[in-house]
Amino acid sequence: MSEIGHGGKQIVERILDPKSAKEKIQSLKKIPVREQMAVEVIDLAYGFFSPLQGFMGKADVDSVCKKMRLKDGTVWSIPIVFDLSDKEIAEYGIKEGDKVLLTYKDSPAAIFEVEEIYSYNKQEMAKDVYGTNDEKHPGVKLTYQTKDKFLGGKITMVSKPVINPPFTPFLITPLEMRKKIKEKGWVRSVAHQTRNVPHTGHEWLMKGSWLSAYGELPVEKMIVGVVVNAIIGEKRPGDYIDEAIVLTHDVLRKAGYFREDVHLTSISLWDMRYAGPREAVFHAALRANLGISHHMFGRDHAGVGTYYDPYDAHRIFDKFSEKDLNIKPVRVLEWWYCPVCAEVTYMGLCNHKDKIQNFSGTLIRSIIQDGVKPPRLIFRPEVFDLIEECAQKYGMGSAYVTKEYLANRNPVFTFPKL
Amino acid sequence: MAETFPINVWINEERYQKLQEAGLAQMAQEMLAGLKVLRVPTTAEQRDEILKKYPMAKYDSATTKSIELLPRKVKDQIFDLIVQKKTINVMGEFLKS
Repeated sequence: MSEIGHGGKQIVERILDPKSAKEKIQSLKKIPVREQMAVEVIDLAYGFFSPLQGFMGKADVDSVCKKMRLKDGTVWSIPIVFDLSDKEIAEYGIKEGDKVLLTYKDSPAAIFEVEEIYSYNKQEMAKDVYGTNDEKHPGVKLTYQTKDKFLGGKITMVSKPVINPPFTPFLITPLEMRKKIKEKGWVRSVAHQTRNVPHTGHEWLMKGSWLSAYGELPVEKMIVGVVVNAIIGEKRPGDYIDEAIVLTHDVLRKAGYFREDVHLTSISLWDMRYAGPREAVFHAALRANLGISHHMFGRDHAGVGTYYDPYDAHRIFDKFSEKDLNIKPVRVLEWWYCPVCAEVTYMGLCNHKDKIQNFSGTLIRSIIQDGVKPPRLIFRPEVFDLIEECAQKYGMGSAYVTKEYLANRNPVFTFPKL
Repeated sequence: MAETFPINVWINEERYQKLQEAGLAQMAQEMLAGLKVLRVPTTAEQRDEILKKYPMAKYDSATTKSIELLPRKVKDQIFDLIVQKKTINVMGEFLKS
């Protein structure tokens, strides 16, 4: 049965048959890649980035940058590119038409069919994608750090990566997620994009968007689900550790704040670009490929600093028709604590604007740092307790990313040796 | 009146005891369904100076418009100054010291 993803194209996994993998890679030139590239190989091969079958060629990059579409017209907002220096290209002797073996930490990762080698104006790319050339913007910085040339061509993963604990049950590929959604009997599902430990503001974002996606459907049996999809990728000192993020989201269901039949936790591998509205469109494509029917977008989705207006990521979806995207955006405002309503309530409903008390993950962290336990109305005690557990078990004593964590953490994934 | 940006000094048990002993318990505001806090105002210039001095701190421009993640020791120093001076308007003096 065909599974249709973003752009109306079938999701196809590009992974070698294990019986012939060793033979196929035997004579290929080995090109070691950094973690970001290894992650994107996994995403491409499993269909997270469908309809992309590999790293983009120049025509697609140009079209994505200028028009937010691939050259075939499919909506796509962020270039997916593979870079090498001129020196590396010369040393490895790579030319167009070559097949090479990408390796990660000395294990085979993927066969890369190099169709094109090209250069691209990085200042233009940064301005088109991020709306700025300010090097303080993390996406701009990443763009400027790319090497001399980009290589475009198809990717075929050599073997399935091992997803290490505690992430093992949470990396659910597009084809697997579609099976899971069917098994749960969900007619609709709503994606909650996250890179953070949840407070009740997040919880209410999920609950509110679930109600919104549920709409007119019958309620005798729950047939809509929240799919938490945590982005796991490059970390900065001070972020929560990945293990805390994933496990605390999962504990919300285990502790009963979400019923078993309306919630599931998953991860996607990706280094955030903080491209604001463009990244919102990218996330829409990613979750459409996961078979999710709706995607919640809140205030300042995938933003950083003040580069984007808080609701730019809402407005961008006005540019697309329903047939452009296989997923419906659910646009939401903020949730805050109102002492008059005596509850966490919604900006679109509560009119006690001069009394409201905003809270954020950063504020809650300050509260904890001051030796105060936040009330369960804003931070669930099960989440609070689990953060400390994760700090000891995975974070070398800290729930926040430290240099020690970055140097010594258990990797999220490993490619097996053949 | 110029805009101010608060530093939230959250009142734990130890701090509450000190406030009570100093007769200043009423200075603490209630926030977020039962927490007690001293909201110490800073000017924009003071905010920028604090963020420069304590790079681990963050100005939450997106949501709460407050200075967060100051180290506990720093918050303790600010708190002690509040108790000593019997006012929350201590940032000028704190930064000079």
